Amino acid sequence: MAVNWLARLAAAAPAPVFTCIGPGIQAAVERLCLSPALDRVATPRAAAILLVAGEIPDHAQEALDRVHDQVPHPRQTFRWDGTGDPEPALRDLWRDLAAGGDTETDRRPDAPPNDWCGVGPHGQGGKGMMGGTPYGRPMAMTADDPRDGLALDAYTARLGPFVPMLPPGLVLEVTLQGDVIVSAEVRAAPFAQPDDASAPDFCAARMLRLVGLPRDADRVARGARLRAITALRAIPEGLGRHDGQDARGRLAGWLAGERGPEAAPALATLLPGLEWSEAMLVINSFSPATLAHVAISKEDA
Amino acid sequence: MILLLALALVVTLLGGVLVGGWLDRVVAGRGAGPLRAAAALAVRGSVRTEAPDDLLQRLAPILYLALAAVGLSVVPFAPGAALVESPVGIVIWGSCEALTIIAVFLHGWSPNAPFPLIGAYRYVAIALPVMLPSMFVLIAAALPAESLSLSAIVESQRDIWNVVRQPLGLPLFVMVGLTLTLRGPMDYADAADMAGGTSAEEGGGARLAWEIARLAMLVSVSAVAAAVFLGGPLGPVLPGPVWLWFKTAAVMALIVLAGTSVTRTTPSRMLGLIWTIVLPLSFLHLGIAGVLAL
Amino acid sequence: MILALVLFAVWSGWRVFVVDSMVRASFSLLASFVAVGGAGVLMSASYIGVATVFMMAVEMMVMAIFMVAFMMNPAGLNPMSMVHQNRLSMAAGALAFLGLSAAVLTADLPDRPVPPETRVVFDLGLELLGPSMLIFETAGVTLLATMVGAVVLSSQQGRFGSADEGSRPPGLTENGEPAGRVPDESGGHHMHHGGHGDHGGDVDGASDHGQGHDHGGHHHGHAAKGDPS
Repeated sequence: MAVNWLARLAAAAPAPVFTCIGPGIQAAVERLCLSPALDRVATPRAAAILLVAGEIPDHAQEALDRVHDQVPHPRQTFRWDGTGDPEPALRDLWRDLAAGGDTETDRRPDAPPNDWCGVGPHGQGGKGMMGGTPYGRPMAMTADDPRDGLALDAYTARLGPFVPMLPPGLVLEVTLQGDVIVSAEVRAAPFAQPDDASAPDFCAARMLRLVGLPRDADRVARGARLRAITALRAIPEGLGRHDGQDARGRLAGWLAGERGPEAAPALATLLPGLEWSEAMLVINSFSPATLAHVAISKEDA
Repeated sequence: MILLLALALVVTLLGGVLVGGWLDRVVAGRGAGPLRAAAALAVRGSVRTEAPDDLLQRLAPILYLALAAVGLSVVPFAPGAALVESPVGIVIWGSCEALTIIAVFLHGWSPNAPFPLIGAYRYVAIALPVMLPSMFVLIAAALPAESLSLSAIVESQRDIWNVVRQPLGLPLFVMVGLTLTLRGPMDYADAADMAGGTSAEEGGGARLAWEIARLAMLVSVSAVAAAVFLGGPLGPVLPGPVWLWFKTAAVMALIVLAGTSVTRTTPSRMLGLIWTIVLPLSFLHLGIAGVLAL
Repeated sequence: MILALVLFAVWSGWRVFVVDSMVRASFSLLASFVAVGGAGVLMSASYIGVATVFMMAVEMMVMAIFMVAFMMNPAGLNPMSMVHQNRLSMAAGALAFLGLSAAVLTADLPDRPVPPETRVVFDLGLELLGPSMLIFETAGVTLLATMVGAVVLSSQQGRFGSADEGSRPPGLTENGEPAGRVPDESGGHHMHHGGHGDHGGDVDGASDHGQGHDHGGHHHGHAAKGDPS
């Protein structure tokens, strides 16, 4: 059987897992994902197994359901409370899924959140060729740019709480022009994590993953030395200065085994004006323990 | 003869994709081999995003793969024997490079989602200026050959390889290769800081097609580098194609290694580096090559 | 073969005006140019044909980026019409067609085939760096100067500080009067850049046009299928 043969070949590959991390379990999940039997994928669409670790608070349940529905069929949710070694169970689950095993149905309706209310001959709505609100979604319109005065389209989106490059639980509402952040509001603080998530090795590994060094991130998370070149110099000097130290300095501190600063940064003032990758570096240059105290922006009208 | 060369091209691409997948696994130190990884993607489905541009979404990996094949077609497998023996071989390859940017942009544009779109924007901003050093490096290699044909460039390296004669060429071209194959320090399209960028909304078969196309482009760009800097099919005892394969594999390993061991900086900084350091450097390279060729 | 390429060029050129997305329109135009380049290669103009593909790929890419950057038009979500100023365009199109047709009909076009052993690239190089050098170099330098000038004029970062704050050069003597022209306060002031504080609602885009107020759910709506929240 050709299908059988393909399934067996696939089952020998690492299990593609997307992780949704709850409070208090971040370090355990990151340690688990160092295993060569698991492939921690960056997006639910590339996963087969949704690993839900810990108790997800109620306010994040809706987001969890959305992530769940983005995992392609056949899919399974695996809940883990941080005890025991879930690797054999995950491997069995992946073998079943690779062979086309049972799947889970959608938890939310797969429909636009609003009805079509466009106007005009092409339904584009808006003035002239621009704008409009198809399915209740306002199209991006040009707005002033904080950097060079080019009035590009501004686009507002809410990110989190399970985006892999943000700390679990953190919900950011950002307005972007291209990849420049015009404004950023914190809508929910990261879930509280015990001290082990803020261990220097793990903090450094998260940053190294962002700058395209997954192999070195694994090494550093296991306690080995960094091998890649220009890891520190690649991070611009003076980026995300807080308490007299920039992101590069904080990474250097972690690589030297020091714990990061304790005073929480004001992300809403630190992020605007930065490009996307700079902003991600800045956020990840603070440990989970620091970010847990981040100020939540007031919901404005 | 044409049939034989077409067969050689297909074999090179297929074999090269497998070797590339294997190199990725060896250098990364984890993950699955090429066949297992491909099977793991093939058994999974994919979820449609809301209102994607279906036509362009399908077209993007096909275009990427086709460009890799066209690019490889101008590379001679034996002295004077390329599938497309054109007097403007390196210009054809240059067109493939430029169109690759479009394939990647379409891949990020079509899912109708923020991360892929940002990835597409960023990639275009970085890859367009990288085309300039690429052109200068290739023109510099054409100077001693006094021809834009890849076969003539190979022929001009009978006595001394371009990698020795023009030492800056290969490092600069490796940078171009990293850009075209979305790797490591030049991966501004599918990067981890955007949950996979242009691939962030993709899984299953579509992702598999994209990864195969990426590896095929790795084979192509390495084969061109082997022909332009390492004398391509020239070599003692062994037949031409075998030499080309060895050299291509060596360049592939070099690109994969560079991709995992050099850190990616932020896009605006990289843009500054390209315009203020890499571009003048490639200009200097062209100037030296021109004086030497006189 | 040439006929097929030319027909494809015309068809994809026609698609530019029929499709409902700017990206599709841009790349339809590119497909048209690629076909024209292919026809050029078949007519023994190998360098010009391939260079057309190369140049047009880069140009169309830049064009698509700028069109999308200033007029967001997501892939399949919001179709938009690609034609405007129809009457003027029709008149301009007809005029251009007549002019080019007249040029083709009246010009004395060469009809002998190029011998296969001709070194077309070599001859083209001699032409570009010989008799036509002055024309091409003048055009090239003019275009480059235009581009640099456009960037300098549109950049907010002036040589002596931000342009919208009325950047002025330093004085010729220490603490002296700024050198150069005194900036015109009323003309150069950018109305929207009064405060760099909270842009709040007006960058959201929705409040710019009247009908955007009934979409209370849009912030949450974004996250539905499009992003891995």
